[in-house]
Amino acid sequence: MDFSLQADPQEIAAFRKEVRAWLEENMRGSEHLRWSATWSTRENEEEYRFRRNLAGKLGKKGWLFPMFPVEYGGAGLTINHQLVLETELDRYGISLNHVFYTIARIVAPVILKWGSEEQKREFLPPMTHGEVSVWQVLTEPQGGSDVATCHTKAVRDGDHYVVNGQKTMVGHHLPPDFLWTLVCTNPSGPRHENLGWLHIPGNLPGITIQHMYLMMGIKNTVFFDNVRVPAFYLVGGENNGWRVADTHLELEHGGEGRVGTDPLVERVVEYCQQMRVGEKPIMEDPNVRDLIADMMIELHTVSLFARRNFWHRFVREPHPYGGAQFRYYQRMVRLRNGERLQQIMGYDALVPDLTLHEVVDFEYIVRSGPGMLHGGGTLDTDRLVFARRVGLGRPTKEKAPTTI
Amino acid sequence: MDLRLTERQNMFKKAAAGFVKAEAPSHLITQWFRNKAAFLPDLYRKAAGLGWLGMVIPEEYGGASTSFTDCAVVFEELGRGPLPGPFFSSGVLSALLVLEGASEAQKKSLLPAICSGKSIVIAAITDKGVHWGAEAVETRLTRTTDGLVLDGTKRFVYDAEAATSFICAARMENGEIALVLVDRASPGISITAQVGFMVSVAEVRFDRVRVPISNMLGQAGAGWDILDRALEKALSILCAYQVGACQEIFDFTAEYTRSRVVFGQPIGRFQRVQDHCVELSIHLDAARWVTYETLWKLDSNLPAAASVHEAKAVASDAYYQVCNFSHMVHAGPGTDYGHPLMAHSVMAHTLYQYLGTPLHHKRKMMDVLYPRAKV
Repeated sequence: MDFSLQADPQEIAAFRKEVRAWLEENMRGSEHLRWSATWSTRENEEEYRFRRNLAGKLGKKGWLFPMFPVEYGGAGLTINHQLVLETELDRYGISLNHVFYTIARIVAPVILKWGSEEQKREFLPPMTHGEVSVWQVLTEPQGGSDVATCHTKAVRDGDHYVVNGQKTMVGHHLPPDFLWTLVCTNPSGPRHENLGWLHIPGNLPGITIQHMYLMMGIKNTVFFDNVRVPAFYLVGGENNGWRVADTHLELEHGGEGRVGTDPLVERVVEYCQQMRVGEKPIMEDPNVRDLIADMMIELHTVSLFARRNFWHRFVREPHPYGGAQFRYYQRMVRLRNGERLQQIMGYDALVPDLTLHEVVDFEYIVRSGPGMLHGGGTLDTDRLVFARRVGLGRPTKEKAPTTI
Repeated sequence: MDLRLTERQNMFKKAAAGFVKAEAPSHLITQWFRNKAAFLPDLYRKAAGLGWLGMVIPEEYGGASTSFTDCAVVFEELGRGPLPGPFFSSGVLSALLVLEGASEAQKKSLLPAICSGKSIVIAAITDKGVHWGAEAVETRLTRTTDGLVLDGTKRFVYDAEAATSFICAARMENGEIALVLVDRASPGISITAQVGFMVSVAEVRFDRVRVPISNMLGQAGAGWDILDRALEKALSILCAYQVGACQEIFDFTAEYTRSRVVFGQPIGRFQRVQDHCVELSIHLDAARWVTYETLWKLDSNLPAAASVHEAKAVASDAYYQVCNFSHMVHAGPGTDYGHPLMAHSVMAHTLYQYLGTPLHHKRKMMDVLYPRAKV
């Protein structure tokens, strides 16, 4: 086994040099920016603009989706090139997923799998070039995690679908170019076979977006009032929305994988080495050391699971239960780490320190611990998916969908 | 990055899996555990014949010069049993102690016999059950005019009953620690099985045992350093054994959720039961990936000291937790000594203690990464 992220095969070494030099050039002027943990958590116009701009530049080179076919705006490269890009961005505390301010990182692979040739040519390049912002719009007020019980209706009317309904807890502080959403296309059809998947342009008449101020930051409710969506925007075909959802959700629910590093422990140690109570830095306190050890071991496990999922995804052998397992574990670890930070730092853990990278802003971790337990589906849905993939209590095992 | 096993490793894995299935099926293993017959000389010799002792030892000393990962895939399969016997304690740990600490002449005389299974050398390190570490070495080593005299009692010596000789850690008159090789047949040695919720553990008493001075391994006083160096490599293999055990438990527990029907449905349809399996899998996979990453570091000559401590902490804790979650799924039937889970439960508790608890290794990991200020 080879766990190295930077032991490049010979033909890749030059590519790393190229990427490193390119980033040095293009990250200039970002030094004062504080990277947000996700694109949805904080209003920071300058950071947002910088990121969109950077995504656009990466996209022009095909580097935003390096393994995508060239004809759809990718670079047709290999997993090794993808690793180079990920690890070089990681030096700045960001990743390909992360620099890219929208859910397009998940949407594009789903379109690549389920879209018609015409749709791929029309929808993909703006995403792979980093030009458009896409929101994932799935949760409904009545449904929560039960996305298949979809009340938002899309009624076929000639060349259009007329969409009515409401989605909630979605997006971020700036309006989207596209809404990527599940709708009910056949109210009398059986469950899972009555749905369609729409890629709705955000500027259509009848769409209203309202901010929600939540524990984790700004989200929105989206109202659809007789929105006329051209039928061309239906992805995956008539009443096939649930299979599209299956692919989308696998990526969103951990199957996506990740190879970045988490700087939290480093920052906690730094804090503990500087903070003295009496004579000694609290880093000498055995209880503090035990808490940091647990934090470190669990975060390391999270990153190993993420790396495993990344590898399985890109060699096209999706891990049967790895996505759900990772997602459940990662969120529980985050919650536990919130408590550990409070035990180590006392009140200091409750004060936002915006001089820090938001990913390692201790207050944000404490606050988002309980808040992020259910984004994209509760812990219970993760465990449910796990059970089906392992085949607990069932004669057959559900398969994980393959994606790029 | 490539997370696959090599073709050769898959071959090792297959051979080891076949061996455990044929020679140590689970009904026999449960019997051995019940009868406290944890050392089976014939089985040990057969495994030695397949080359599984001293795999990582250089060929010139009778080993196979394999990578740590190669060796680990074999031990993962042995752990599935869990196959008892001094495969690790002699074939890996003591072999590495000799390789790390002994003189060239000692290596030449000791290693081939360890690798062939003719000698079973067992490390007897601490005198106390309550603590693992240099502080717990109390057995005394005294110089006399014609050699050394060893005096003291080692407690909880794993696989002691199988030993043909011991590598004993002892404190010299100046307080330093030395390692000495002691023949089991030396007058003054007595071995008493220690019985409890553990397996293969015995007390070894050295009553004024005379040891030739040539039996000292390495420099007098270097004992704990040699042990640390050997452990830094050996522990990763013990971790792999525990990973295999966890995988076996995961597999038969998932199967049980399909076959066991109560309240009119297979128990795996109950979300509470599913929850136990989720937690179980997390411990299993945490142990698996931390262990294999550590093995990769060892094989690539990267700094691995902190990783090895981490892996031992995670894998020993995982084995223990995996047993507990499996007990939650199996309920009553899993507590019968005739059930495979019981062999694992007993082994998990033993290995939780063996060579240091998870808490001990977590603290060592921290000390490697963030040394404490000297007092």
